[in-house]
Amino acid sequence: MSDINIKKVSYLAKLELNEEKAALYEKSLSEIIEWVDNLKKLDTEGVEPLHNITEKSQNLRNDEVLKENSTEQVLSNAPEKAQNFFRVPKVVE
Amino acid sequence: MPTIKEIKNQLSNKNISVQELYNVYYDKAKKSKLNSFNHLLDPEYNKENINSSQARYNEGKDLSLDGIPLGIKDLFCTKGVPTTASSKILEKFIPEYESHVTQNLLNDGSLFLGKNNCDEFAMGSSNETSFFGPVINPWKNKNNTDSQLVPGGSSGGSASAVAEGICVASIGTDTGGSIRQPASLCGVVGLKPTFGSCSRWGVVAFASSLDQAGPITNSVEDAAYLLNSISSHDPNDSTCSNHKRENFLEGVGKGFDRPITVGIPSDYLKDINSDIAEQIENTKKHLSKLNVNIVDVEFTTTDFALSTYYIIAPAEASSNLARYDGIRYGYRGCGNTLEEIYVNSRSEGFGEEVIRRILIGTYVLSAGYYDAYYRKAQKVRKLIKNDFQRIYNEVDFILTPTTPNEAFQIGEKLDPISMYMNDIFTVPTSLAGLPAISLPSGLSKNGLPLGIQLIGNYFQEKSLLQMASLLEKEFCFNE
Amino acid sequence: MNNDWELVIGLEVHAQLKTESKLFSSSPNQFGSDPNSNVNFIDAGMPGMLPVMNSGCIEKAIKTGFALNFQINSYSVFERKNYFYADLPQGYQISQFEYPILTEGFVEIETENEVKKIRLERAHLEQDAGKSIHDIDPKYSFIDLNRVGTPLLEIVSYPDFNSADEVISYLTSLRQILMYIDVCDGNMQEGSLRADVNLSVKKPNAELGTRCEIKNMNSFKFIRQAIEYESKRQIQVLESGGKIDQNTLLFDTSTGETRAMRSKEFAHDYRYFPDPDLLPVHIAEDQIEKVKSTIGELPQQKLLRYVNEFKLEKDIAKIIISEKAYAEFFENLISAKLIHPKLAASWLVGDIFSFIKEKDLQIVDIADKSSKIIQLLEMIEKGTISNKVAKDILIEILQKNKEPVLLVKELGLEQVSDNEELERIVEEALIGEEDNIKKFQSGSDRVLGYFVGKCLKATKGKGNPKVINDLLIKKLK
Ligand SMILES: [Mg+2]
Ligand SMILES: [Zn+2]
Repeated sequence: MSDINIKKVSYLAKLELNEEKAALYEKSLSEIIEWVDNLKKLDTEGVEPLHNITEKSQNLRNDEVLKENSTEQVLSNAPEKAQNFFRVPKVVE
Repeated sequence: MPTIKEIKNQLSNKNISVQELYNVYYDKAKKSKLNSFNHLLDPEYNKENINSSQARYNEGKDLSLDGIPLGIKDLFCTKGVPTTASSKILEKFIPEYESHVTQNLLNDGSLFLGKNNCDEFAMGSSNETSFFGPVINPWKNKNNTDSQLVPGGSSGGSASAVAEGICVASIGTDTGGSIRQPASLCGVVGLKPTFGSCSRWGVVAFASSLDQAGPITNSVEDAAYLLNSISSHDPNDSTCSNHKRENFLEGVGKGFDRPITVGIPSDYLKDINSDIAEQIENTKKHLSKLNVNIVDVEFTTTDFALSTYYIIAPAEASSNLARYDGIRYGYRGCGNTLEEIYVNSRSEGFGEEVIRRILIGTYVLSAGYYDAYYRKAQKVRKLIKNDFQRIYNEVDFILTPTTPNEAFQIGEKLDPISMYMNDIFTVPTSLAGLPAISLPSGLSKNGLPLGIQLIGNYFQEKSLLQMASLLEKEFCFNE
Repeated sequence: MNNDWELVIGLEVHAQLKTESKLFSSSPNQFGSDPNSNVNFIDAGMPGMLPVMNSGCIEKAIKTGFALNFQINSYSVFERKNYFYADLPQGYQISQFEYPILTEGFVEIETENEVKKIRLERAHLEQDAGKSIHDIDPKYSFIDLNRVGTPLLEIVSYPDFNSADEVISYLTSLRQILMYIDVCDGNMQEGSLRADVNLSVKKPNAELGTRCEIKNMNSFKFIRQAIEYESKRQIQVLESGGKIDQNTLLFDTSTGETRAMRSKEFAHDYRYFPDPDLLPVHIAEDQIEKVKSTIGELPQQKLLRYVNEFKLEKDIAKIIISEKAYAEFFENLISAKLIHPKLAASWLVGDIFSFIKEKDLQIVDIADKSSKIIQLLEMIEKGTISNKVAKDILIEILQKNKEPVLLVKELGLEQVSDNEELERIVEEALIGEEDNIKKFQSGSDRVLGYFVGKCLKATKGKGNPKVINDLLIKKLK
């Protein structure tokens, strides 16, 4: 089975693969998907999917404001910034 | 290798100062040729911490890990210290915050020697996917001393550094075996705690439902020292348990005052090689000597664990790694549009294996495949959990090999699936979220270390460490 | 509108919840701050950062559940909606998908000739995104993450609307309810309430047509324009033999037209899956009951009470309940039971609202003057001053915050109700009016009005018209 649309998958993941790499990954993915396909052999009728091993309820936080950091700290690793904004090439909608 | 307790005695007795101790390790680490650190912190950087640690010793008020030089896997965010996840995409990233686990370690007086190399974003079982190059195992194949061996992965830098003795211990992370497998291949102790024992806050995420921090050490006792520090409730991690933690050191070295049963799953031993079989046979003998009752158990889900793991972990990873887009931090590729920046930053910033896993994860979550793969895997995961719970009705611990083979040569395994098979014994435990420890149990015919894995029930780390310490004494691996 | 065609409209409304902190972080939930100043490491999607759920948001969702007749689900799950955008730091939005917190509710709206039930499919909690600013620099966009993580409740209706009027009526009522229960500040300009409109057209009895989604509008005016433009467009396309492409549209406020967003090759595969950083939300029965007790009176309940208990006219009551702040102001005026509710209502809706409108004020801006207004209304009710005088004094109170009792005394404006003095004035007024007196006695009511006016003039407007009226009748008989 190889119905893997590597172009679509890489597009969704925002990755660009040249022809050669796309072919390699497509082959690799096909092999891995075929390998994991053995799950089909297992009957899981009526089994509830496991959301989290903890299987507990959410711990909630009180609705309170904590100022934990400065704007400078948030921007300190930014590749490009200006006037306390992150900067990117012009976005056209 | 000296244990934490021994080192602390030396420091308390003023046989060595904290500064001298740090310098010894720092110098060794600097000279090491095994590439086990991405970043070392020189004594000058740590000066303040060294001095305050010394002051506490002088007053006889030393903390539980005072002055102990540790390695930290380069997946933990450390404030003001580069944190790269061994990836180009985070090559220049310096967090403004400290992970919960490393903050605990600092609070207990330990000193960070540096950041340990690992597989890129912890994706790998040989430490060969690191952007900073592979880590080398300090052990040599006695029949082929020229070849360089992998330390295992993804916490390969941690295991190699502890085995080489250039740090006292290291903190790694385990998603599908990333602590236990390298510990086994490097002849050291590696503990993956129950999911939810240690906070994931500030740890670069790989697969959120599986990631767990844990110690890599030279002894079971050292593992207990570190677990006492890193395991604590954290309200900032919704999946972190808020139960009261025990003192994990209490049981170490003591016999049990109740009968103990260890189950050995026959389905794990189906196709193992003679080296591995010997470890299990050997361990059985020691267990008998310790008056442990051994029973055969059998899982029904073992054959499906790797498949389940290689759907769930990449799915979570594909989403967890979406934040690396070149906009707010990390590597930014060139581009005249936003789209070009995303694509170039990610395509150039991530390595081959990380890209493979993102692609797998994206595929299994995409429209038309979600039910067949992701939801199916979540259901099988439930069955795997049930399988373990059924067996824990009969036994206290489960014994398995840690790895299917000894350390292999760097560059030897090229195809992904045979690499993924390395985690065949560690992955089921990860999916079930159970605590497990790998102990060095002996040497292969090639003179390479091998380990056994002891698995406990949920949050039974104290008795797990107790059992492991009894076996450790039997194995006499370090002598 | 072409009568052969029916409009079918469904709405997705995003309401920003009025909380102190964000949905999954403790940053302030605040509009209009300096760029990136309400951002912490979680909001910025830094490595290793984890979300922690805000209990206040659950509470607001439960409140909304009651107010909109929803089923409140004891089990709900947060999932990740994966897509890339510059103002979406994590690369996914945490939202609810398979298990939303609220399902199957309804709102009743008044249309021209009936009360119509709008069915609501679901409402779920999710994070807002940041903002990209495009007009600072010709070459760059700037990103402000202040809004990232602001809690939203997305309220999704069934396609139950058939006109722009119904949509506006629903939105008006929804906004009113959310403000009443203190879940949302209702500030449309600041984007606190935004709507996506799903619209298709069809012939009567035909199957549903292909729909288009017009995204993210935050003004009633534009929503109406967009519906009108888009329905005409679709009808034109269909009547000229074309077909509608299912599209996501933007409404261009400068041209008044809709246009397709740049469509992408493989867009809209959001790969939802349960967020492994968060556990499911369980809501206990007692928690629901506790929240229920804090809801207070809803607008429709208030309307009924005003009409039945206070005997207000429905149209006046409607104006007063239209905003929670009006109703609060009104109830404050009558709280001491010194003034008749009808009197308070007519002054509020009349002179007080005109003043506010004229001066471009909010009702809260005059809240501190309500005790003086009460004093004024009391004097009107007792007949101490005339309506005309009261109007002038009200302006003095609202503008200069003066004491009404002092004003009346100061200006000698007290109404003359003294019988002896008025009797004298009435007698004087009747002198030389024999013809008119005869007319009155033969049954002409108009003449009475003439005499009242004459007397009032003689008192310079200070005479109590009711007393004058009574005296005149007595004298004339
Ligand atoms: Mg929408
Ligand atoms: Zn939404």
